[in-house]
Amino acid sequence: MRRALRGEGAYLLMLLPLLVFVAAIAIYPLLFSFRISLFKYRLTDPNQVQTFVGLDNYLRAFQDPIVLTSIQVTLIYVAGTVLLEMSLGLALALLLASEARLMRGARSLLLLPMALPPLVVGLVWKSLYNADFGVIPYYLKALGIDVGRGPLAELNWAMLAVILIDVWQWTPLLMIIFLAGLKGLPLEPYEAAFADGATRWQRFVHITLPLLKPTLLVALLLRTMQSFKVFDVIYATTGGGPGSATTVLNFHIYTVGMTFFDMGYAAALANVLLVIIAILSALYIIILERQQL
Amino acid sequence: MMQKRSKFEQGLLTVLTVVVVILFMIPVFWLITTSFKFGREAFSIPPKWLFFDFTLRNYEDVLATSKIGLYLTNSLIVSLGATVLSLVLGVPAGYAIARSGSRVLNMSAYFFLLLLMVPPVAMLIPFYLIMRDLHLLGSYASLIILDTVFDAAFVVWMMRSYFADVPREIEEAALVDGASRFAAFWRVALPLSIPGIVASALYVIIFSWNDFLFALMLTSPETKTIPLGILSSFSAVEINWGKMAVMCIFAIVPALFISLFLNRYFIQGATMGATKG
Repeated sequence: MRRALRGEGAYLLMLLPLLVFVAAIAIYPLLFSFRISLFKYRLTDPNQVQTFVGLDNYLRAFQDPIVLTSIQVTLIYVAGTVLLEMSLGLALALLLASEARLMRGARSLLLLPMALPPLVVGLVWKSLYNADFGVIPYYLKALGIDVGRGPLAELNWAMLAVILIDVWQWTPLLMIIFLAGLKGLPLEPYEAAFADGATRWQRFVHITLPLLKPTLLVALLLRTMQSFKVFDVIYATTGGGPGSATTVLNFHIYTVGMTFFDMGYAAALANVLLVIIAILSALYIIILERQQL
Repeated sequence: MMQKRSKFEQGLLTVLTVVVVILFMIPVFWLITTSFKFGREAFSIPPKWLFFDFTLRNYEDVLATSKIGLYLTNSLIVSLGATVLSLVLGVPAGYAIARSGSRVLNMSAYFFLLLLMVPPVAMLIPFYLIMRDLHLLGSYASLIILDTVFDAAFVVWMMRSYFADVPREIEEAALVDGASRFAAFWRVALPLSIPGIVASALYVIIFSWNDFLFALMLTSPETKTIPLGILSSFSAVEINWGKMAVMCIFAIVPALFISLFLNRYFIQGATMGATKG
């Protein structure tokens, strides 16, 4: 025993409490969720009957127009937020890369949004977007753009409005990741390019971007997975509306489970989301693993 | 990088930086000023950015009439509980993964990364049902342990890369002197890793403090955390934005504090997930 503790056994022992905890609190519920998804089970049912229905809940999911819409909405949301945040984040990283005092101060101020509770962020933007007294519709009107009942309540604007909230909160995270990536770049290619008289734009396109590719890829996947999880901001601002314009899959699952109490179906939908995320995570891990080589 | 920038360019970049910072700070500025405005001025059109009648009325009202104290206490209990639990479970685990010679143990780091990516909503339905059957709905414990799953996974991932950067030699010297591996961890590696632990702890505090979805599902009126408290203090039809702003200010205190004063640690945590370390 004593001998084992001096070797590898000690490490296993240090890992064990967490493994037991995770097995009980995460793995067991996920298995439980798979089981529930095979049953028809409504919490509101007075007898709490659970009827085995096999894969019916999954088949139902792929025929449910609301689910198909919400997948579409999710993809638009994820693509919109990630693309905007990636490009803005890179621009900010390039702008603020220097160690000058102003830039350092700016960088630390920009950290604030991502530390804020998303629910509070949602509420603050809801008041900024308010049709009656919000400053954003006011200035838009001054520019000749009328947003009617406010950006969050208009079909054509709601998606853009919630995407912008996400962009505000999470662009700084990408900026920090890109700053770390930029810091790690070798200087030699730039010296060579400088000697060859390359313009700044040429250096950016032919040196910085290719060298930064691993960081860009990792950031892209990381942010994509996070963006799929959006909930608080939608809950605080549009509640999925108007209509189902901002009902992302995540939000729809919550509604099915916690408003309609259709537990089996909600679990099935959650598992579909889980599979999507698992595929993305696997890609992410493969890329991280390659990066080390 | 190499090329010197002209005076004009320098000026342009400075202006651009200032504009970017102002744009990003507007919502926060708006929140803070709204909390000091009288009701009518919060809604005035055109908006009053800098010059308005200053009042502490909203703060007095919130402190006198709302349950803000209860919500803040609940948030504190949950955040501290989840932070302590996830550090106790996660820091030794991160150390084990970083130091072990076993490939299986090394690769288990990815298992925790996968766990970190699980959409919370996927845990929501089963966890709710399990907690209901255990009669734990509305308890601090249910919220703390669910938060801890994700928090501990983050701590493992972060501490693993931190310990990997701590030189092994000192620990090996201790091992040669007859110390057990636990002693090497506790007396040698741990004291050298305080900054990493602080950075992990800050993130975990922020995660649990900011959590809304789990709290929405698992708390009762007595255990509501601050985000829930804010929502339940106002009805959908009539919102007092000044009072809401005050409650929001209380809710963002940890975020303000950490991002302004402890941002060194904060940056460390943000880049940790994106690099292998």
